[in-house]
Amino acid sequence: MIRTHLIHTIFSLFLIVAITGSVLAAEPMEAIKQTTDKLLSIVTNPALKPPSKATEKEKLIRQAVDERFDWEEMARRTLATHWAKRTPEERKEFVPLFADLLERTYLKKVEGYSGEKVLYEGETKDGDYAAVKVKIVTKKNQDIPVEYRLKREGNNWMIYDVSISGVSLVNNYRTQFNSIISQSSYENLVKRLREKVELK
Amino acid sequence: MMKKFDLELAVGLFIIAGIVCLGYLSIKLGKMEIVGERGYEIYGVFSNVGGLKVGSSIEIAGVNVGRVKRITLENYQANVVLNLPKGLKIQEDAIVSVKTKGLIGEKYIDITPGASEKVVQPGSRIRETQPAVDLEELISKFIFGKI
Repeated sequence: MIRTHLIHTIFSLFLIVAITGSVLAAEPMEAIKQTTDKLLSIVTNPALKPPSKATEKEKLIRQAVDERFDWEEMARRTLATHWAKRTPEERKEFVPLFADLLERTYLKKVEGYSGEKVLYEGETKDGDYAAVKVKIVTKKNQDIPVEYRLKREGNNWMIYDVSISGVSLVNNYRTQFNSIISQSSYENLVKRLREKVELK
Repeated sequence: MMKKFDLELAVGLFIIAGIVCLGYLSIKLGKMEIVGERGYEIYGVFSNVGGLKVGSSIEIAGVNVGRVKRITLENYQANVVLNLPKGLKIQEDAIVSVKTKGLIGEKYIDITPGASEKVVQPGSRIRETQPAVDLEELISKFIFGKI
């Protein structure tokens, strides 16, 4: 039961009808709305519904998400103290792998959107950092608080963490990655992530 | 006459010894709180601390590293001041969360170290905070999946 809400949640994130603008968003909340709107249009597009269009649909979703999520920042934060020890090549390898892991984990959920409402509660800015609070209302009328953490990059705002019901995505993976690396090795972590990603 | 004096003397000395021991013990235990004066302070703002108390423990990797110094309400949010030992560096992207001992026990602060080379300066704010939740780890794995 919890799973269903949370599933709808994450991806409900991307559901709000707004004006489609360019990728560059001057304000954090605008940034969230833009990406949400883009994903909404992809997911509800009848032309992309047939199974033959599945790969194309996935690609479009991934593109829209890539525009808003700062994968390198997220990957760096999840590796935490282990990031410094990685060579530039290892980092280059890890960042897309991490992005693929998240795609693999959440893509189906994004595609499974079924009309959840998204309420924008507010945005707080603190220099180059911001937080956008959102509330997802499921079909069973349950409220799920979601908070995006964004960082300003040039003229744009990019997401570096998502908290659902006060639980941080970065912290979740940080704890698990740290545990795996400490108990085995970084190479083993990469192996496990690859296995998870390739498990289509 | 001498015997009674000896007895009273013995009792008196015994009592004094007892009080001295008690005093010594109090000071020894008291010193544990005085450690607080030697560390440094940083603070975090939380939307909910779930009953966290002043003096609650701060843990990194399950090890107690400090105590909560002060909790105040500012702008309807909890402002929590942490007292940490001088040599312990907290990265700028470390995440500070309020956790529960054993699911329904007392609240404490957990810090997961980050990747940033920048360090939170004494008197400064930790940006990444997570409020108190129920059954954090369970929900976390449920929501985001276990790898």
